[in-house]
Amino acid sequence: MSEKEKENVVTEKVVSEADELPKTIVRRVVKDKLSQLSMDSEVSVLRDSLQGFCESARIFIHFLSATANDVCKESNRQIINAEDVFKALEEIEFAEFVPPLRTSLEEFRQKNAKRKSESLKAKETSKKGKKKEPSSTDGVGNKEEDEDEIEEE
Amino acid sequence: MKPAGTYSGILSGGISGRTGPHLLPLARIKKIMKKSSDDVKMISGEAPIVFSKACELLIEEITKRAWNITVQGKRRTICKEDVASAVITTDTFDFLVNLVLDSANSQDSPRP
Repeated sequence: MSEKEKENVVTEKVVSEADELPKTIVRRVVKDKLSQLSMDSEVSVLRDSLQGFCESARIFIHFLSATANDVCKESNRQIINAEDVFKALEEIEFAEFVPPLRTSLEEFRQKNAKRKSESLKAKETSKKGKKKEPSSTDGVGNKEEDEDEIEEE
Repeated sequence: MKPAGTYSGILSGGISGRTGPHLLPLARIKKIMKKSSDDVKMISGEAPIVFSKACELLIEEITKRAWNITVQGKRRTICKEDVASAVITTDTFDFLVNLVLDSANSQDSPRP
């Protein structure tokens, strides 16, 4: 194997699988879109091409994150929120993505709010049941997944 | 084989609701986001959801354009070159041009 080929092999393996988006899901997105586009004929996609889709999505996340981070810093905040991401999308000329993303986010918020209220009701019911028993728990409140969950590394 | 939703639910620590039929794993997205820049430290819970859906839309857009090229060439299989052409011919995909050119270069490397 020539040195150039060895170098190419090394370049290809720089991104580990753990840092990529799962091919199965990417493949499903591509296949579903193709079935929408070509009702009559079946268009398939080569396995090698899927790598291109995965990598494109990964670089898109990099690009969009960096832009959203800049937007966030300009507003003197430290936490990247959804609005920063929307503004970043407009900056990188993907403004057409914003309306469907807003809709999708709103649906998620509504589902989350519904799930939270249901779990709160369930907790209240179980608390009433436990009132008679002596509490031996730590009394630590449940830390539920919140829409505004903040993560720090 | 577990459906994608279960997997992404476990990784995101309990978010079992999906925003649509597909949901890219939020933990993986957060990981990639943090690698994009040393500055990126704190991310709200909603941001990866938006990213996940944005990636889907991007993939769909590339698929549509690549499909157009495949069909114009009277073929029925999207190949890497179709994806590359779709990226090169679309202005908003300029940030991906280096990726497809690198990919093309590695393919064209001469073999002894």
